[in-house]
Amino acid sequence: MRATRRSFLKTAAFAGTGLLLCLELPRSMADEPGVFEPNAYISITRDNVIRLWITRSEMGQGVHTTLAMMLAEELEVDWSQIQYEQAMPGGRFKGIRLRTSGSGSTVGTYNALRKAGATAREMLIAAAAEKWNVDAGSCRAQQGTVVHLATGRKLTFGELVAGAARQKVPDNPTLKTPKDFRVIGKPLERIDGRAIVTGQAVYGIDVHAPGMLYAVMARCPFIGGKVAAFDATKALAVPGVRHILPVNSGLATGVAVVADYTWAALKGRDTLKVQWTPGPNAGFDSDHFLSQMGDQLAQRQDGYFVRDDGDARTALDTAAKKLEATYEFPFQAHAPVETMNCVADVRKGSCEIWAPTQCPEVVQSETAKMLGLPEDSVKVHITLVGGGFGRRLFADYVPEAVEVSRAIGKPVQMLWTRSDDMRCGFFHPSDVEHIVGGLDTDGRPIVWVQRSIGSNLSMFGFPTEKQQKNLRLYFNDGSPWGSFDNPYNFPNLKADFIPLNSPVPTGPWRAVEYPPTVFARESFLDEMAHAAGKDPLEFRLHLLEPGDVLKVGDAKIDRSRLIRVLQVAAEKSAWKHPLAHTEDRLWGRGVACNVYDEDCFIAQVAEVSVGRQSHDIRVHRIVCVSDCGIVVNPLGLEGQAESGITWGLSATLHGKIDFKGGAAVQENFQDFEVLRIDEAPAVETHIVVTDHPPGGFGETGVPPVAPSVANAIFAATGKRIRSLPITPGKLKAVG
Amino acid sequence: MSAFTLSVNGKRHLVDADSDMPLLWALRDFLRLTGTKYGCGMGVCGACTVHEDGEPVRSCQIPLSATAGKEYVTIEGLSAQGDHPCQTAWLVEDVSQCGYCQAGMIMQAAALILRKPSPTDADIDADLSDHICRCGTYQRMRRAIRRAASTVRKT
Repeated sequence: MRATRRSFLKTAAFAGTGLLLCLELPRSMADEPGVFEPNAYISITRDNVIRLWITRSEMGQGVHTTLAMMLAEELEVDWSQIQYEQAMPGGRFKGIRLRTSGSGSTVGTYNALRKAGATAREMLIAAAAEKWNVDAGSCRAQQGTVVHLATGRKLTFGELVAGAARQKVPDNPTLKTPKDFRVIGKPLERIDGRAIVTGQAVYGIDVHAPGMLYAVMARCPFIGGKVAAFDATKALAVPGVRHILPVNSGLATGVAVVADYTWAALKGRDTLKVQWTPGPNAGFDSDHFLSQMGDQLAQRQDGYFVRDDGDARTALDTAAKKLEATYEFPFQAHAPVETMNCVADVRKGSCEIWAPTQCPEVVQSETAKMLGLPEDSVKVHITLVGGGFGRRLFADYVPEAVEVSRAIGKPVQMLWTRSDDMRCGFFHPSDVEHIVGGLDTDGRPIVWVQRSIGSNLSMFGFPTEKQQKNLRLYFNDGSPWGSFDNPYNFPNLKADFIPLNSPVPTGPWRAVEYPPTVFARESFLDEMAHAAGKDPLEFRLHLLEPGDVLKVGDAKIDRSRLIRVLQVAAEKSAWKHPLAHTEDRLWGRGVACNVYDEDCFIAQVAEVSVGRQSHDIRVHRIVCVSDCGIVVNPLGLEGQAESGITWGLSATLHGKIDFKGGAAVQENFQDFEVLRIDEAPAVETHIVVTDHPPGGFGETGVPPVAPSVANAIFAATGKRIRSLPITPGKLKAVG
Repeated sequence: MSAFTLSVNGKRHLVDADSDMPLLWALRDFLRLTGTKYGCGMGVCGACTVHEDGEPVRSCQIPLSATAGKEYVTIEGLSAQGDHPCQTAWLVEDVSQCGYCQAGMIMQAAALILRKPSPTDADIDADLSDHICRCGTYQRMRRAIRRAASTVRKT
């Protein structure tokens, strides 16, 4: 599955398989006096400073720590000896993937980094053995030294630098067996925590290049609109404002105001008079689009079938009980607290960029293309990322800064305001799901038909006409995830997808395609269980029997692993002991589960109460059980569970972006509400440890949140809400 | 443009800027104290929180014209060695994820534990609910604040 379905997210043409090519650096690097650099990831100097290069962007998922842990494990160094460095595209990292996406930071580096560490370790051991004139097999690396076991002689890595650099790079260094791991699997605090809590950590917005000016833009609020005319007279009179110029690159075009400092640019922008050409989408309305999707689902039979097991049509005809429901998912913004920004310094024949980005390779290649420079002449510094969530897989905010810097001949910081960020970026697509299910006379589920409609497949730009005609391409992508890879054992199962584009620029949001499909799937399973008079958790367990491996497309889903996490969730949440209602509140539990990209299994049980009169919703506790194979940093994984659940709850209880008249309505956190601490539940994370290769966990926590909460609300109130966000108003309207 | 004397982290700075410029941008662009973050520009996310005479305030909502005679402390000045009980507790509890909002959170929490030496989770929730963390570090933040408060009580 990985090679096709998520090719754009997870793998890269140059991913880890060609490691040895990456490892063999020009001799000149290894010959540098006093440095041992067996590969791009590691450098050791005579003074025992061990530098590890991190080949992903740090955006909160903890890669500075996790990736360093994998290197340190095989290298056999003391954790306190390590310094980490952020990799950058090109140079020593040419051919090594730096893109950060698809929950793939651990999955995508696990083998390569361990091999890189083991390579260095074997060369250091060989250098010591050579020095002592003993067999390498009689030496061990431990805590930054090589020890000769028989005699106890010891040399530090620093002392072995010159000798190690002369050794042959081993083709197949021996990796440690998991039972010998000392670092992997140990809960470790963030390696970069101190810089964050002291205010020294440098995010994109904090970069200051000498002589830099500050820019903001008046951006066209209409999707696909343009500048018609502008009058800069007043804005130019604002003290500190230096330049006013139209900007045509990027996504949300407009007029840039460049000033000596941010406030002047903001004031200049406020006084700038711009007339917009709203463009062809000025009539776009997201509520209308939702009903359009619903209508098309009802009318069109020409969805593309991504699954067709058994004979769903006949099974539906013969089912003793049939039920159906429609679920709606609104547009969503990413709204990271650090808004989009970029510093660009365009010089003659070169360019330097500082960007909080998840896609540094794209930043480099697109900037090079834009400026007509060779890629090597574009230096891209990856800063800390103040929240990525998929938004920063787009580099649209980079060319704007480049365009302005080129025009004014100075380094410039382009900053998006919160309103720009909320209204003018990329969004999670709105989506409608329709499911029909059938039970036999004994209440056993026999058929499942899930239909999805939306612009899911325009994650990276809109599907081309060719793609739309050749629906086979959709199958190769395995979309829509969550419906396509439905893990349950229905004898008759059909899933199809109707692509329907809106003009809204859409892209990956945390968990990409899973949130809408899994909200519908796991809610409807609950509906079926109740219709069958069965316990929703037991109902799921039965549907996963016989616990075999499901093969769908390229994916192999081991149902026994999903059964296990559900069982643990049942136990840890005291599922069999229902919550009692209180005087003014109704209480209930709900369960949901999912398999993220075949290798990460998760079950969640939510405990919710709803005010009898007020209808307010409180999520008190979420028990989260996961099996994603070997866990590199359990403390990090726990944090990602808490994080994914918070993200999911924001969308479940609050988040949505409406479009009216072709423009986004919500502008800031006062009208696009997100979860705050007073609504944050107690999250209990339980890790089922298995020896499967590591699965990704950055997004895994998100999809089960909405359905587990919706199911808990149903358990509490008997009310089924099928559209997000779930609000007191919607609950009240059900009566 | 007018000249303002800003007292930040125990030092006086002369800033020549517009009187309506929010303190946030003076700190960031003029004093290069970038630990204080821009998040919303309208006082609803808390990322720009600093102390004004010991009280947590949103620096994006304070014009320079209102700063005369006030003492400000930013995350860079919260402790000399980065070892304020909140900073230490934040590390022990491994709170930060992307970390962008954390300076604002820590400044708010540092003021809270002085005012309420034994904050309950309800106290913490009420006091920090004007802040936003998109990474969802709330649970660990509660633990860190309780830990920091208990450190202060013991000393």
